[in-house]
Amino acid sequence: MNRNRQTEILGGVVTVIILILLIFLSNVEVNKLSYLESVASSIISPVQRIFTDLKNKIQGNSAYFSNMDNIIAENEELKSRNSELETELRELEMIKAENTKLQEYMSLSTKYSSYQTIPAYVINKDVSNYSSTLILNVGSNDGIKENMTVIADKGLVGHIISVSDETCKVQVIIDPASTVSCSISTTEESIICKGTLENNQVLRASYIPTGAELIQGDKAYTSGIGGIYPKGIIIGTVKEIITTSNITDRYAIVEPSVDFSKVDTVLIINE
Amino acid sequence: MKKVWIVIGLILVFFLIYFLQVDLFNNFTIAGVKPNLFVIYVLFIGLFSNQILGISIGVFIGLILDFLYGKTIGTTAIMLCVIGYMGSYFDKNFSKENKLTIIFMVAGATLIFELGSYFMNSIILDFEREYLYFIKIVLIEILYNVLLSIILYPLIQKVGYVIDRSFKKNNILTRYF
Repeated sequence: MNRNRQTEILGGVVTVIILILLIFLSNVEVNKLSYLESVASSIISPVQRIFTDLKNKIQGNSAYFSNMDNIIAENEELKSRNSELETELRELEMIKAENTKLQEYMSLSTKYSSYQTIPAYVINKDVSNYSSTLILNVGSNDGIKENMTVIADKGLVGHIISVSDETCKVQVIIDPASTVSCSISTTEESIICKGTLENNQVLRASYIPTGAELIQGDKAYTSGIGGIYPKGIIIGTVKEIITTSNITDRYAIVEPSVDFSKVDTVLIINE
Repeated sequence: MKKVWIVIGLILVFFLIYFLQVDLFNNFTIAGVKPNLFVIYVLFIGLFSNQILGISIGVFIGLILDFLYGKTIGTTAIMLCVIGYMGSYFDKNFSKENKLTIIFMVAGATLIFELGSYFMNSIILDFEREYLYFIKIVLIEILYNVLLSIILYPLIQKVGYVIDRSFKKNNILTRYF
């Protein structure tokens, strides 16, 4: 009786342990146990292979398995071919992107072909939170003078405010102290674009004429008024028009076409 | 002689801080706002050395920054000069041991520096002042500066007392009582 009871308890405990182990094992991800799997298969597979070969020879169906080998080899080949094709595709995509970029540059140089330009690199950006200036690697030795216009591949960047022998300082149009007179592409209305502290990625266009009809997506170009920027350089697109209770106070948000956080190569217009 | 070496060392440290600010913190921002290490640096020079050194290093750093980045020459120099003076003023009136006073000093110095340079620039360059956004940026900048100075304060303190001893031999601790 006592002995029976003991085996009963033992059996119960063993069952519970096995169940817990099963729960654990079934919840562990398979790939985490792959080393166990490989150990097991390396022990078992040689023996298994001998038995299978024996069986195949007896049954005479080894031809099927040699076909199987062929299929596996073919599969491997196709896989490698596939990866080769994929890399080729990547390369082609890169070439395509490069091509569009080069075409952009081409159109830029034809667009601004009437101007002579000096290329320059941005070597430093402003340390302050309240202004936005760029330092370029060209100076008066390269023929740079104050108030020259600086453009990038997509549009206007700013103008030069001071020059040293080897470097020059550019006031970017998103600087709060910067003001650009521009005209709207569709209606030729003239507005003033200012930099703002609110967001250093956009411009605020104010002094919109009361009769003017602005539309989202209109392009803003420099108007040539003011004497610093030449006429017809793109600044950006009208992103939003904010109407206030008084129509003379309304203003628009203009998104510059140049991304000033990423700009690294610029052109300086040499008049 | 020791003073000369200290001044040369301080100028070398300025270049280190300059590269930190330009190359690291220009990209390492809180909500797009950079800290201003120069204000902290000049404040602590004023705090640990004498008034003359604080003011002159402030003017020196300010002029370099103005020549490199400024749209107006002199605004940063004037404001950093004020910060250097503030440092020595704080030194006479407050303890440098307490972290809370350090926090208030850094916050006050940052606020005064940015207010002063923004208003001077806006008057000289004649642009519209945007108070709300200015306050927003200044508050984040103060937070960033205070955080940095709390983290760096043990180091600053160690170096600072070396400078303190060689610049203020005659001072007795009566001012704290």
